[in-house]
Amino acid sequence: MKRALWSFLAVALALSPRTVHAQIAPSALDVLKQEFQQLKQHMQQMEQQLQLLQQKIEQLEAAKPAATPTETVTQEQMRQQNEKVDRVVEAQKKSLPGEFNPAIGLVGETIFSHRSGSSTATGSDRPGGFDVFQRSVEMVLSASIDPFAKGYAVVNAQADPVTGEATASIEEAALQTTSLPWNLSVTAGRFFAEFGRLSYIHDHELPFVNRPLVLDKYIGGESKTDGLQVNWLAPMNHYLSLTVGLGDQFGDDPNNPGPFRAFHELNFWSRLSTYFDLTPNWQLETGMSGLLNPKTEDLGGVLVQANGSTLTERARRLAGFDLRITYAPLRNNQFRSFTWGTEVLVSNNRYLIDPNGSLNPANPSPLLDGDEFPGHVSSQGLYSYVVYKMDRRWSFGFTFDWVENPQNRYDRTAAYSPFLTLSISHWNQLRLQYTHTTHNAVSGLRDDAFSLQWAWIIGSHAHGWQQR
Amino acid sequence: MKTRIFGLCSLSLIAASMFAAPPAQPAKIRIVTTLTDLADFARTIGGGLVEVHSLATGVEDTHGVPMKPSFVPLMNRADLLILVGLECEHAFLPALLEASKNPRIQKGSPGYVDCSQGITPLEVPISTEHSEGDVHPYGNPHYMLDPLLAKIAIENIYSALVAHAPQHQVEFARNRDAYLVKLNAKIAEWQEQAKPLKGVRFVSYHLHWPYFAERFGMIYSGTIELKPGIDPTPRHIEQLIASMQAERVKIVVREPQFPERVPSRIAAQTGAKLITLPIMPGGVPQTDTYIEMMDYIIRTLVAAVSK
Repeated sequence: MKRALWSFLAVALALSPRTVHAQIAPSALDVLKQEFQQLKQHMQQMEQQLQLLQQKIEQLEAAKPAATPTETVTQEQMRQQNEKVDRVVEAQKKSLPGEFNPAIGLVGETIFSHRSGSSTATGSDRPGGFDVFQRSVEMVLSASIDPFAKGYAVVNAQADPVTGEATASIEEAALQTTSLPWNLSVTAGRFFAEFGRLSYIHDHELPFVNRPLVLDKYIGGESKTDGLQVNWLAPMNHYLSLTVGLGDQFGDDPNNPGPFRAFHELNFWSRLSTYFDLTPNWQLETGMSGLLNPKTEDLGGVLVQANGSTLTERARRLAGFDLRITYAPLRNNQFRSFTWGTEVLVSNNRYLIDPNGSLNPANPSPLLDGDEFPGHVSSQGLYSYVVYKMDRRWSFGFTFDWVENPQNRYDRTAAYSPFLTLSISHWNQLRLQYTHTTHNAVSGLRDDAFSLQWAWIIGSHAHGWQQR
Repeated sequence: MKTRIFGLCSLSLIAASMFAAPPAQPAKIRIVTTLTDLADFARTIGGGLVEVHSLATGVEDTHGVPMKPSFVPLMNRADLLILVGLECEHAFLPALLEASKNPRIQKGSPGYVDCSQGITPLEVPISTEHSEGDVHPYGNPHYMLDPLLAKIAIENIYSALVAHAPQHQVEFARNRDAYLVKLNAKIAEWQEQAKPLKGVRFVSYHLHWPYFAERFGMIYSGTIELKPGIDPTPRHIEQLIASMQAERVKIVVREPQFPERVPSRIAAQTGAKLITLPIMPGGVPQTDTYIEMMDYIIRTLVAAVSK
């Protein structure tokens, strides 16, 4: 009994928690404790991380911009960019259809004038007194021909002074090379030959209303020719340009070569020009020109002199010297400038001189009667002008003309012309000029004229090298 | 005898070495630029490998650079012609190109470097009628006043130099990259400095500033010119003054190549500040480079707004 009781107590003790606890090894409990602590720490860490993440989320949400404003800025930028591109595309739509058309421009020039002398006294094809006429309407076309040349044409319409009927003519139609080696370029066709400074400038581009007397008398208006001209730029640091050319006429008057023209009977001309930058604002340009036509036959017809004799031009020789000094301050050259230009021409033509006038066309039967003889007549003439530009619109100037008759050097004419120019815009210009002629070449009488020139341009208009 | 021969040979060799031509220096790439900002970029990228001439000196109106015959020999010998493009140079470049007789730099040739390639132009006109003035048919060409667009011009110049002289590509790239680092830093600086200009209204004599205005957030409120290239009429001046007063325009910009009288009168009547800003390097003193020019422009505008 006692043994059973001690056994029961032993078993009870063994099974008691303490005993059980005593029986669970202290290391396992420690392990459990450790694991529990670890779990607890882990959970604490997790909790901390969760807190940190929560904070970060809150921070990001606070910093995040509103979705709507961002989208608006992007769309606005896209709209602006599309607008820019659309405008470019629209512009291209306008230019592409006409891409193969030449550049076309039209120049109109109207002259309102009053002249004290009649047309009989002045030799003008316009009446004296009050007059209005369209001096020229020029259509200018230009385009590239191919990678090697470009072409241009000037079609000019003028009204007949008597009937008023307009007739059109080809004033210029030429090809110009663009890629020759050795600094060469060739112009061929009908063009204004490079002679002097103003002979190849169209009337509406002159710095004054009327072409200088010496150019009218010695060249015959513009230096129009049907021919070929070669320009060479000297391969050096300094600007030096040489032009030589040949053609079948030079000036407005047609050249009658007779039934056969040898090569040496063409017109030959040349010009050598150079330039100096005196200072950044002051420029000097100068040149020399020459013209030779060994056989003009009867350029201008039989020229009847005041004393009844006649001269018939047989050969033509002309030399010229030109100079232009310009002040154009770089900072505001569109608003202020000064130009002085001068050109001197010397003529030495060979004539068939008929002292008794038997060749006068007014005679019933003009004929050679044996008293005719060849002779040279030398004469000279010049023009000189100044222009002062006060601002982009207004400029004023003065021109002096002096010329000896190429058939009679003792017959001299001088003219004085102040003028005022208003450039309303680059394409619209008014010019008022007064001209006093001391001794008109035709009548010998003095003449006074007021001219109001209105020149306008539509379409394409570019200043070529010669118009600088 | 042998001694004499030897002596003569020695003397000959010495003489030959004295008078022999120095080793040939590699020829520099000859560059002509139309305007001074392009010249600055070309010199920077090209370094010692290029010889650069600018037709403009910086004080001219970009449309009023004179057609001097002295430019012709320069262009005749040029390897590259660098231009702004978008018809900016239409008043003087075509005639000079014609006279230069240099096929290497004619339009369409590799030596004709149009820096506007890649530029999306602003203000492309719907009409090129002369009633709109002297408009540029392909858009406003004054993009060089936006420094970010100027970087496109730099890239075009770099590409042209590399195409012309690929053996120097590494040096050109090095110069370009060095400059772009400097320019990018300045752009960040300008954008920071120009913050007070945002929303500021201004007028100028000619339409030079739309790209600048867009970049720096300014608002263009008109020009003193009636139309591009057309001087203002009295009526236009009156209307401009009225609109400036209504819109509270604060600044009148006068480019130095335009007269001061009318801008000064407009500023006086509206209470706006009259300032003179260059449009290319050299336009005013101490703006010889593009960065100096932009520094001057930003600094002057900010100072005007601050007062």
